[in-house]
Amino acid sequence: MAIKLTNVSKKFKIPHEKRDTLKESFINFYRKREYVDLEALKDVNLEVNKGEFIGIIGRNGSGKSTLLKLLANIYTPTSGKVKIDGEVSPFLELGVGFNGDLSARENIYLNGVILGMSRAKIGSMYKNIVQFAELEDFMEMKLKNFSSGMQMRLAFAIASAAHADVYLCDEVLAVGDREFQKKCLAVFEDLKAQGKTIVLVSHDLDMIEKFCDRAILLDQGRIVTDGEASEVVAQYKA
Amino acid sequence: MKTFSKKNLRILKEIAISDFKVRYQNSLLGYFWTLVKPLLLFAVLYVVFSVFMRFPVENYQLYLLLGVVIWNFFAEATSIALRAFEAKESIIRKVYFPRIIIVIASTLTSFLTFLLNMIVFFIFLAVSDVGFSLNFFFFLIYVIELYFVILGVSLLLSVLYLKFRDFAHIWEVLLQIGFWMTPIIYPITMVPESFHRYIFLNPLARLIEYSRAVFVLDHIPEATLNINLLLMVAAILVFGIFIFLKFDKKITEWL
Repeated sequence: MAIKLTNVSKKFKIPHEKRDTLKESFINFYRKREYVDLEALKDVNLEVNKGEFIGIIGRNGSGKSTLLKLLANIYTPTSGKVKIDGEVSPFLELGVGFNGDLSARENIYLNGVILGMSRAKIGSMYKNIVQFAELEDFMEMKLKNFSSGMQMRLAFAIASAAHADVYLCDEVLAVGDREFQKKCLAVFEDLKAQGKTIVLVSHDLDMIEKFCDRAILLDQGRIVTDGEASEVVAQYKA
Repeated sequence: MKTFSKKNLRILKEIAISDFKVRYQNSLLGYFWTLVKPLLLFAVLYVVFSVFMRFPVENYQLYLLLGVVIWNFFAEATSIALRAFEAKESIIRKVYFPRIIIVIASTLTSFLTFLLNMIVFFIFLAVSDVGFSLNFFFFLIYVIELYFVILGVSLLLSVLYLKFRDFAHIWEVLLQIGFWMTPIIYPITMVPESFHRYIFLNPLARLIEYSRAVFVLDHIPEATLNINLLLMVAAILVFGIFIFLKFDKKITEWL
């Protein structure tokens, strides 16, 4: 078992009136603060086997991203348990920690270390990363002078060099031009072939159908359907 | 997951060093600014209190510079650490590693600046007529204690700031008050004896006074004084860690 969620709920307390300053807190001290509970996930149970490629679909606000952030340990569940076996690589967003004022080369190391690699490891893969990103001539340039497409290519190249057991992906496949997209997809196929566990959140239903063995459909924080990817997609479309 | 695993220590080092690079990168004088800022403050204070008004202190320039450098480290490190989570918001929202790493990295970045400043102090020391003494090594202990005071205060401030943004202003005012309530520009001997106990409730006052004793007066403060200071430092650090861990899990949601 790679991922196991038992009765996981996540509530966010959204204050009716925002009280961010001391003054507001003092003035309103005697008045009880009113909260609206936003239940992003309700009693979710999910088991994902090693080597499964699972897609998560659902409308905006259905809890997809919250689920992914719980898996990445960025949020802690309000109740229930999240258990993950192995190293997790969050592709939640590419280029975490990128700093525009540092050179591309320095950013590869910074981003790679944050993703859990050692400097030596990054050094040994450096050539591959740069080649994959097709940015050989720009490594001493400051990152802020990169176009957003170049930044994303670099970020994807680093992220795909990080080894993990469980990959969490949030809409990252829409990176770069067509040619580069093809390369990204190849990386995913490769990961799949290696038997990695991958969780993919996407609005791109074709991609879910093409890559995922299994999919779950979320609606208002609950899992509505869990099954064969093509069937779940068909139900969502209906 | 272990807080200080190899992986987390790598992240700590990487963030601390890259922030240090970036902090001064876009300025013409670069790292030079880390030296210019405290030196300018020092120069002004020196002119006012050594040329205009005169404090009856031998080697006043060393005395003053050491006070300014130590205080500057404390003030700068805590003010920057206060906003550490805000500054690293993009990382916090996307990757998990223990959040305490971010505060430690922030204070370590300031520590690097402090080290550069200390080089200047040692240059001043070398050209003065104060000779070298083995007592100097006692200063290393004070530096470590100073760092832990800063870390304790920073941990506390960093989470309080997320809850109440007012703390940015409150801390600014407190630092202003602290600068004058700490014997930085004036010698402690000018303060009436009856106030000393209050002045020395402030660990910075102790750290600065004891460091001066070691360098300028060439004598080591009594053991009881050193133990009191150590207990104070430990209390601040433990309190900081305690409050921090209490709110640790809420950091992402409060951002």
